[in-house]
Amino acid sequence: MKNYMLILILLLATISCASAEDSEDYTDDAIRTLLPFDAIPAITDPQFVSAGAAKLDIDTPVIGVTFNGESHAYSVYLLNGHEIVNDVVGGMNIATTW
Amino acid sequence: MYDHQTRSLWSHITGEAIQGPLTGRQLKPLASMPQIAWKTWQLNYPETQVLSVPTRDGRREGISQDVYADYHASQRAGVSGMEYTDNRLPNKSLVIGVQVPAKDGNTQFRAYPLTHFTETAVINDTPNDVPLLIFHDKKSFATAVFNRNVAGDARTFSHQDRHFVEDNTGTRWNLVTGEAVSGKDEGARLERLPAINIYWFAWARYHPETSIYR
Repeated sequence: MKNYMLILILLLATISCASAEDSEDYTDDAIRTLLPFDAIPAITDPQFVSAGAAKLDIDTPVIGVTFNGESHAYSVYLLNGHEIVNDVVGGMNIATTW
Repeated sequence: MYDHQTRSLWSHITGEAIQGPLTGRQLKPLASMPQIAWKTWQLNYPETQVLSVPTRDGRREGISQDVYADYHASQRAGVSGMEYTDNRLPNKSLVIGVQVPAKDGNTQFRAYPLTHFTETAVINDTPNDVPLLIFHDKKSFATAVFNRNVAGDARTFSHQDRHFVEDNTGTRWNLVTGEAVSGKDEGARLERLPAINIYWFAWARYHPETSIYR
């Protein structure tokens, strides 16, 4: 995993939220399962288009990364349905997470 | 999130494995633009490639609306409700979360509320003896954290217009790209540090020891 890197971005705090009735022992940091694995399908084979072909509205929020002269943009609205993109940018193995 | 190879569980917020064979392992956070209007990104990086997810019928998935708009507009914190509160800020306050480099060996966490960026787009700060430049443009939502050291000394930056600032040597910088566009250091690049835009309740929960820029 050492060469597998991570970009931490915004949050929808989906990882370890307590349900309301368990709030009194929330400080235990217990992990509670809300969704099964892959209920939100991560992107493992991302496809890209040029800026001109992207057809995004000008105000659409994107996450932008640039490494070694290569830049990728990910629409936040698109990431709402996937949350993770396994990608390679500028020769770096990254996970863009939302 | 989980990794396919070991099915260990990892935290999005910290990058640490919290359950499974890789528990305790740490992914390396990388610097990015956590959120920026498409037009501004495209203007600064015209060669950018853009993620595109075709659906089965050949169209693209919904890229024109935010399915979480109601959640963002609400007071609701987290996916299943949440009692835990760090009252230093309202739960749904947006902050820039920064892991301050550990110059003295003690990593510090610091939150910069976006409410500080109404009159200016930059904050010069020096937590943990590390000179930081915090940038947020409220219109494009562009956010970045840079090391203020340039050629060996800590510069002080003043906001000019949107994404542009000037330092105390008169050098003008574009803070979307981090590049000096005119002045004696033209062509130089600021070191960009990892940062996230995040709701206070989540940042405070994962980093309860965090300080807040006031």
